Amino acid sequence: MKPDCWLDCRVLVTVGTGGVGKTTVAAALGLAAARAGKSVLVMTIDPARRLADALGTGPLDHEARAVPEERLRAAGVTGEGSLAALMLDTKRTFDELVERFAPDPAARERILANPIYRNLTDALGGSREYSAMEKLRQMHVEGRYDLIVLDTPPATHALDFLDAPRRLAGFLESQFLKVLLHPAAVVGRASLRLFRTGSELVLRALERITGLEFLTSISEFLLAFEEMLGGFSERAREVGLLLRDRACAFVLVTGPDLQQAKSAESFWERLQAEGVQLAGLVLNRAHVWPGAGDAPRPDASEAERAIAWLSGELAARAPELDAPRSARALVDATRAQAALARRDAGVRERLAAALPLEPEAIRTVPLFSEDVHELEALARMAGLILAEPARA
Amino acid sequence: MLEANETDLLAQLLSRRLLLVTGKGGTGKTSVAAALGRLAAQRGVRTLVVELGHAAVLPDLLGAAPPAAGADALRDPRPAGPNLFTLRLVPEEALLEYLELQLRVRMLARGIVGNAGFKRFLEAAPGWRELITLGKLWHMATRSDAGGAPLWPLIVIDAPATGHGLSLLSTPTVILDTVRLGPLRRNTDLVQALLTDANQTLVLTVTLLEELPVNETLELRARVRELGLGLGPVIANGVEPPLELPDAERVLERVAGLDARAAPSPLADPRALCASARHKLSRAHMHAGFLAKLERETGGLPRVLPWLEGGVDGPDGVGALARELERALSASGGGEAPAARERRA
Repeated sequence: MKPDCWLDCRVLVTVGTGGVGKTTVAAALGLAAARAGKSVLVMTIDPARRLADALGTGPLDHEARAVPEERLRAAGVTGEGSLAALMLDTKRTFDELVERFAPDPAARERILANPIYRNLTDALGGSREYSAMEKLRQMHVEGRYDLIVLDTPPATHALDFLDAPRRLAGFLESQFLKVLLHPAAVVGRASLRLFRTGSELVLRALERITGLEFLTSISEFLLAFEEMLGGFSERAREVGLLLRDRACAFVLVTGPDLQQAKSAESFWERLQAEGVQLAGLVLNRAHVWPGAGDAPRPDASEAERAIAWLSGELAARAPELDAPRSARALVDATRAQAALARRDAGVRERLAAALPLEPEAIRTVPLFSEDVHELEALARMAGLILAEPARA
Repeated sequence: MLEANETDLLAQLLSRRLLLVTGKGGTGKTSVAAALGRLAAQRGVRTLVVELGHAAVLPDLLGAAPPAAGADALRDPRPAGPNLFTLRLVPEEALLEYLELQLRVRMLARGIVGNAGFKRFLEAAPGWRELITLGKLWHMATRSDAGGAPLWPLIVIDAPATGHGLSLLSTPTVILDTVRLGPLRRNTDLVQALLTDANQTLVLTVTLLEELPVNETLELRARVRELGLGLGPVIANGVEPPLELPDAERVLERVAGLDARAAPSPLADPRALCASARHKLSRAHMHAGFLAKLERETGGLPRVLPWLEGGVDGPDGVGALARELERALSASGGGEAPAARERRA
């Protein structure tokens, strides 16, 4: 997919391992879409305050906060374009679900007060991914935005958030849960014996290990959720469909490190297996050669020639400076830059060969000297991702 | 709690039983965990480096021998040199092992884990992976050999990145809040006692000297402290050596005025020279600022590991990083970048 078509999607999802700059890329894509006149929401998981400062939204939270108009104008947004951001909050997402779908106030209170619920929604694994998907579904259904950019939780090898809806549905439909949900199953050992299923055997064994109380708490929690469970499965399926829709596309974000590139390749395999659409790849924080042409080989004799010439020139023009030392330091720095630029170009070629993307769908964003946290820098990044022709 | 400015931080760390290495994704936690394991082994401590989940990176990184014939690839640590072993801890396998231990009937345990309904339950059920992982770590940390000495005097864990790492470390607290009685409670009490004893367990945080990783590191450390765990040093990884260029502004002004066409080599292209130098100068400026911030807010000097030109993707790279780690942890207040040390020498 050509980069200028990325913004025509309804949902763009940035994926990648931790530390590659997904959140920044998501924000830059959002800004680019706003500059193209769209109404955009960026959903992030990263509580980076400087990003919030740059956007001028105040601290990000669970509600969409609009970027003030004067900031948008300064970042080149004209006309209809708008940009809002929110930070995913797992506990709040679950609380809202309970408040909206609990059958009655008593059930609502029971769920909210259940110790398993209180801890599980916030602290235990997997809930972040569920809640990200749930919030995405909500915002999509509300239909207030032309484009939603979703910044996903970092993952190393699996796309947990893609699995989450399906896992949840499987969980809710499992026979095991039905046994667990049956009140008789947990009132005591005597009742347990009434069940002669495999699941019952499993439960009994578990009870020996975890203690009856823990199973009871879990069961109470699940019972309290029972009325809402059908809705959960249904919504999990809806999210699955949305993510596989043609209006939704994924942008892989990677750094130029070989490990990161390998992760990007395995991400691509997973995305392909899931049947979702890959828009393109952003190779972020790449070293680029600042001189003319391609980065030269950083070989030693070449460097010595460069040092000798530079030292002579400096000595002639500024005798007060330590020319030999300055020349050596400068050429060493340049040599290091050339080596990194060559390495990163190699990684780019590797990715281009491994991923079925048109050359222009692989975008290189150079490592900026400073962190990207000003709106101006985001705008610069947006320009690199979407406007300029691809270069190695 | 560990004194931040111990003269020999390394010895302090090696006297612990569990060292959990965590930090923001992409900061090089795995490399640092591998290097720490290598270094401990070199210092004569029998060390097990554990990676969690389904990635198998450490055997290649440490140059481990292929699993020995007859070894259980999922349960037996693989030797990776004198005193050094590595193990991938897979929650499903650890659960099976635990059920076998508890139920004392292997067939029953296999029956449970093989139950289709239970499998689906496990796929979605939150928390158990964290719990069984910690349980297995506790089990290994408390086992003795035939002579009564600890089987694993030191276990280094390549822990998950911040978010999942905190989920892992907070699981016992959640369980203890919820479960008052029974075997689960008793086991969790034991795990929590090991984790929250700073003489036995420390959390090391790896960061890059950039804004997002530094902020995340500070938040991570605050949360770890809240959970009652002891903190080891901040390790600033991949720090590029600074550019030693006195009178930088004047030099660069002159260089910018040179004629590119006269340059005998692309490495002397004035544009490339100026851009490379400015890039390095501004990154060094940024690094210094974040080092100061980390020191200010943690009350201790971050230990600095330099960026290694050859990368860290095998035993050689790990060996090189282990040498840097030794320097950074042994030196009193060893926060200096290598260039500063070289200049002094």
